[in-house]
Amino acid sequence: MSTIIECMGVGKSFSGKSAVGDLSFQIEKGEVVALLGPNGAGKSTTIQMLLGLLEPSTGRIIISGQNPKSKAVRERIGVMLQEVRVLDTVTVKEILQLVRGYYPRPLSMEQLTKLTGLDETSLNMRTEKLSGGQKQRVSFALALAGNPDMLFLDEPTTGMDATARKIFWKSIRELAERGTTIVFTTHYLEEVEYAATRVLMVNHGELIEDGSPEMLKKKLVMQRVSFLTDEVYRPETFQGLGASDIRVDGKKVTILTGDADHLLKVLYALDLEISEVTVSRGTLKEAYSQLTDSQEAS
Amino acid sequence: MKIVWNECWLEALRVFRNRYFIFWSLIMPIVFYVFYTNVMVQDVEDSKLWEKHLLMSMAAFSVMGSSIMTLGLRLVQERNQGWTTYLKTTPVSGAVYFIAKMVGQTAVHVFTIIVIFVSGGMVNGISMTTIEWITAGMWILFGAIPFLALGGLIGTMKKSDTASGVSNLLYLALAVMGGMWMPMEFMPKLLQQAAQWIPSYHYGAGAWSIIRGEAPGLVGILVLIAYTVVFMILSIQRRRMQEAI
Repeated sequence: MSTIIECMGVGKSFSGKSAVGDLSFQIEKGEVVALLGPNGAGKSTTIQMLLGLLEPSTGRIIISGQNPKSKAVRERIGVMLQEVRVLDTVTVKEILQLVRGYYPRPLSMEQLTKLTGLDETSLNMRTEKLSGGQKQRVSFALALAGNPDMLFLDEPTTGMDATARKIFWKSIRELAERGTTIVFTTHYLEEVEYAATRVLMVNHGELIEDGSPEMLKKKLVMQRVSFLTDEVYRPETFQGLGASDIRVDGKKVTILTGDADHLLKVLYALDLEISEVTVSRGTLKEAYSQLTDSQEAS
Repeated sequence: MKIVWNECWLEALRVFRNRYFIFWSLIMPIVFYVFYTNVMVQDVEDSKLWEKHLLMSMAAFSVMGSSIMTLGLRLVQERNQGWTTYLKTTPVSGAVYFIAKMVGQTAVHVFTIIVIFVSGGMVNGISMTTIEWITAGMWILFGAIPFLALGGLIGTMKKSDTASGVSNLLYLALAVMGGMWMPMEFMPKLLQQAAQWIPSYHYGAGAWSIIRGEAPGLVGILVLIAYTVVFMILSIQRRRMQEAI
């Protein structure tokens, strides 16, 4: 593997207000990287800097050895941005043909329609008459038109229905298998788990986690032990269990912990009147909101 | 080169698909022309000359309008809709995009001039030499450059509502004050004097000279060039300011 995207101490501030702090990371060829973070975390700013649309205030970005603004880079990347409406009063076919013409080695129309699920009817439609989901497909097709080595997708599935989203991620996987490097942002965590090989978590413009989705999950996701009890809840009862959070709702007590085995041992040793004990693993979504919440608090 | 050609072709197609363009730049001028030469006939000495004069006015009016309105509004819309941003991520340079817009627009103007000349000429049976038709057409085509530059300047505006309002206002004011709807001689003295400083007057005057067998005045040409330079400098400046952020 070789490094294809290098981000070195990159920061961006808008009129004195910092949007991205001090980002440093490298992306290897063929990686599928999810940029994850709450709204206003600096994801879009980061993508725009990677694309050379915004000039970093500090630091440097290098894409396959070159400035992101160079023509050589532009010929190798495909981009889906938020808030881009496709040119109107043209048909889908016309705009795809035009954009294919911008690149030295474009994808064929057949490949484009196959990867994006655009059918003959929508190809002949005017872009302004398309539904939200179809528009996203066209944007995806535009991103793929130049047969890119690198794809940058900023919230690509916003506005897509469930079927469209499924086709989209299937194609992304197919492209990843061919060795395309992909960087995307999304709000849907299931998409991260499905497609990403690596997650970069950002908050307040800083990188707070970097790892595979599984690793992150293991590291972040708490186990949840819950049971019913008639005893009146007293905080001191549950001390020394290694609980990171305790919630009481009537008779039901839910304890979040990093080590459920240990917690259960201690719990049974206390010899309390408890019933219906269940242990479950949290979702990445919970972990994610916990993480961003704790960042918020600190 | 192929990219520029494709881009121009698509740009021209887009203009023709625009109903507003068809109405305001093709139908309106022709209807106006027929109305003023056949229904509301003016009391003029040489009616044949007047018919030629007004035909030039209408063709100039149409081309000036689509230069100011279509180009400027397209630029604003495409920027606001993010299309311009998307293009920056492709290998195509901003210059190619801009040139294609200008050339595409000019191709549309060639078509407009031909349609207006042919329909107006047939309605009133206007006879002019081939050279006169061609030079008049060329003048109207290339004399529109300052208005394309004005369109480019309007294209730097932030909101498309503002751009649309401003360009409509400018368009009508320029048409009236340039004597495109009414010969200058019928206008108050003050307006006649003011017209010497207005680009649309010199634009029209060039074509009016040609049909009278004269060459367009040098002063007029200089005024048009001066306006082009000023509009271009202003829009380059505004663009720099916007990109600095």
